[in-house]
Amino acid sequence: MSNQATIQTKDLTKHYGKVRALEDLDLEIQVGEVFGYLGPNGAGKTTTIRTMLDEIRPTKGRASILGMDTHDKSVEIRKHIGYVPGDLAMYPSLTGMDTLTYFANLRGGVDWSYVDELADRLDAELEKKVGDLSSGNRQKVGLIQAFMNKPEVLILDEPSLGLDPLIQRELQKMMREVTDRGCTIFLSSHSLSEVQRVADRVGIIRHGHLVAVESVVELRSKAIRRVELELDGQAKSSVFEAVPGVRDMAVENHHVVLSFDGEMGELIKAAAEHYSIIDIHTQEADLEEIFLTYYRDEVVTK
Amino acid sequence: MMLANVFTKTIKEHWLGWLIAFFSLVVLLLMAMGVYREMDVSLYSELPDVYRSMIGISESADVASLSINALVGTYGALTIAAMTLAMGAGLIAGEERRGTLGLLLSSPKSRTYVLVSKTAAMVLLTILCVIAIWGAVVASAAVLDISIEGMDVGALSFHMLLNSLFYGFLALAISTWTGNRGAALGVSIGVMVMSFVAVGVLPLIEKAEDYAKAFPWHYFTGSKPLLNGVNWGDIGILSAGCAILAAIALIGVNRRDLKTQSVGITMIDRLRSNPLTEKLIGRLAGSARISSIWAKTASEYQVHFVITAAYMFTVQGLMMGPLYAAIPERTRTAADAAFKVMPEAMLALFGGGGLATPEAFYQIETFGMMMPIGIMVVAIAIGAGALAGEEEKRTIGLLLANPIKRSRVVRAKALTMVLFAFAVGIVTFAGVALGATLGDLGMSIGNIASACLLGTLVGLVFGSLSLALSAGTGRRKIAIWGAVGAGLAFHVFNSLTEISDVLTDWAWLTPFHYYIGNDPLNNGMDWVNAAILAAMSIILITLSVALFQRRDIRQTG
Repeated sequence: MSNQATIQTKDLTKHYGKVRALEDLDLEIQVGEVFGYLGPNGAGKTTTIRTMLDEIRPTKGRASILGMDTHDKSVEIRKHIGYVPGDLAMYPSLTGMDTLTYFANLRGGVDWSYVDELADRLDAELEKKVGDLSSGNRQKVGLIQAFMNKPEVLILDEPSLGLDPLIQRELQKMMREVTDRGCTIFLSSHSLSEVQRVADRVGIIRHGHLVAVESVVELRSKAIRRVELELDGQAKSSVFEAVPGVRDMAVENHHVVLSFDGEMGELIKAAAEHYSIIDIHTQEADLEEIFLTYYRDEVVTK
Repeated sequence: MMLANVFTKTIKEHWLGWLIAFFSLVVLLLMAMGVYREMDVSLYSELPDVYRSMIGISESADVASLSINALVGTYGALTIAAMTLAMGAGLIAGEERRGTLGLLLSSPKSRTYVLVSKTAAMVLLTILCVIAIWGAVVASAAVLDISIEGMDVGALSFHMLLNSLFYGFLALAISTWTGNRGAALGVSIGVMVMSFVAVGVLPLIEKAEDYAKAFPWHYFTGSKPLLNGVNWGDIGILSAGCAILAAIALIGVNRRDLKTQSVGITMIDRLRSNPLTEKLIGRLAGSARISSIWAKTASEYQVHFVITAAYMFTVQGLMMGPLYAAIPERTRTAADAAFKVMPEAMLALFGGGGLATPEAFYQIETFGMMMPIGIMVVAIAIGAGALAGEEEKRTIGLLLANPIKRSRVVRAKALTMVLFAFAVGIVTFAGVALGATLGDLGMSIGNIASACLLGTLVGLVFGSLSLALSAGTGRRKIAIWGAVGAGLAFHVFNSLTEISDVLTDWAWLTPFHYYIGNDPLNNGMDWVNAAILAAMSIILITLSVALFQRRDIRQTG
């Protein structure tokens, strides 16, 4: 195992009876990195995180954080991490401040001026009881709780759930700031736009399998374009299927919409052979598009 | 199919609990009948009336009426009433607390429809359980070849049904008006236990006899339906009570603002929000309760503690002394004479005791059943809720994300459990000692302390069992009902070992043997027994730590 990796998993596997929640997961996340962990609901994101926190124990394989085994050294590890669980639940009868104090007491020592700063930035209400807060405001308390110890590793499971767009931006800024100071962030999400903004690399997981790990920059350079063609006749998919680089095509009446990473000239030539082109519209794809294009059926075919 | 409507869904959510309760009762009934069959019960007919009235047996006392009264009239009736009551308290307020009520009511159904459907499910399950018990009594009598001639089991069951429904509707009415499941549970259990005790004690005091009529339990057992058949007047009163409470519930659920996931406002919150007391309370209570895991757990269960402690102190401790003093000498002498012709352990099912001496009276009223129950209420609530409760509420994830060992969490929660159990024990001791002094009964204070200490320890065994179940399974229901079921079974088994020659050799198996086996109220402290009980709890708590360490944390949601 390399020593630089902040978070590392090796053959990490978790089965619940016959349900294979996680299969042979290998990950390496470096210091100061924001690692986006993407996948649809039920893909195994939360299972990965719960294993890292020693809430559940792997069926096979192992994980380590800061070079320490997540099971053997779990208490030591937890001195250095901040965590926001997915679907956050807290004690409804405690106020936000009580909740933070309770956890501060359990961790031992918190810089309260930093807590005030965080609360200010997130516009959190700490005087109200958690049970009386809306889910977004409850999430803020959870976030402050994770950031308040200035941890070396942040594990965030759907952290922006319920937050309004302005606060989401602020959270992204906060993530950037702490990584500049050397903090490593494991960010699980199904919101690609969030990951796109903050992550350095992304891993995508489906049905318990890690499908791919790529850097965001690389992915963007794949130059996938979204192409929309309006034709003078009934569009036929067979005409475009033959063109190399066409993926993810939808045909409707006179319209064709497709993702394309081949030679644009080829595509236009193929179209012009059968139709006269009335309009053409292209735009750079976002991450979501790229993922859907590349990895939609990856696991199903395995 | 089972989720076709609110009625069937409610049935689906609850039927298993009822089935388990039913089978536990049947097992106990069979055991009791089997044991009573071996006894020579001829001497019961020689008892004075007052004594028989106290335990509710007929003049022509026989095996069947004894075991039916003990099992159905007491354990069964309390269990079924508690089941109905727990269901009634949760029907509306439970969904409110979980935050699912809003979703349910967003469907095009009126609040009345939801309430009526859920209530119908409660009534149906209660009826089915009572009919099943009735059938089980008749069947087990046939199987064991015990005659139940001249006994109206149907009438007893009918009375028991309305008795149970009364507490169910009471809980329902309170919970629909307040949206607070805990308050509904607490108040209606309080009313139930108070009336059960009152109806047992008040008839012993000549002038107080009529006061028993103020307690609902009187209309269940007061007319002795097993011997005298259905008393339509009493049935009418219970039915009217149910109807009124149902109407109150219906009005309550329709006119009130529904709560979202509800958060109770406690006295501490009020004081904290008041600018005058804000600082002081903040320092005293606010920060203290979140200073550590055990203190936080303690603050969560303070209501359980305060209610139980207040009840044990006042009713089970303080009031019993003057009550005993008020029982006429004549009654006591008659009972005393009766004792001389009886095997000492005849009343064992009620935890022994009688009327002859103040010790025996306190034994039957306070120490036989209520003392361990009081401790168990608090200890099992904490034991079951502490770990599995946090798992079910999904707060355990954040808690365990802190740099603390799982064993520390278990130990902290166990500490709270032990402290609260001892606090209840001490308060009970204070109540009994004060009651004995007020009644000028001349009881040994040291012996009272011994009984309270042993009672606390035996209650803790079952609290520790619930902790172990909670640590091992992560399921609160298993932890609660496992420990309650074990408590009930061991208690009945212990009573039977005192009656039956066959079972006597097995008395060492039950924890209760180490509590009352050596009669601490009369004989004082038995340190060996105390050590055995303490060892049982220590083993179970150690086991809890081990179980919780190696298990995957459950994720519910």
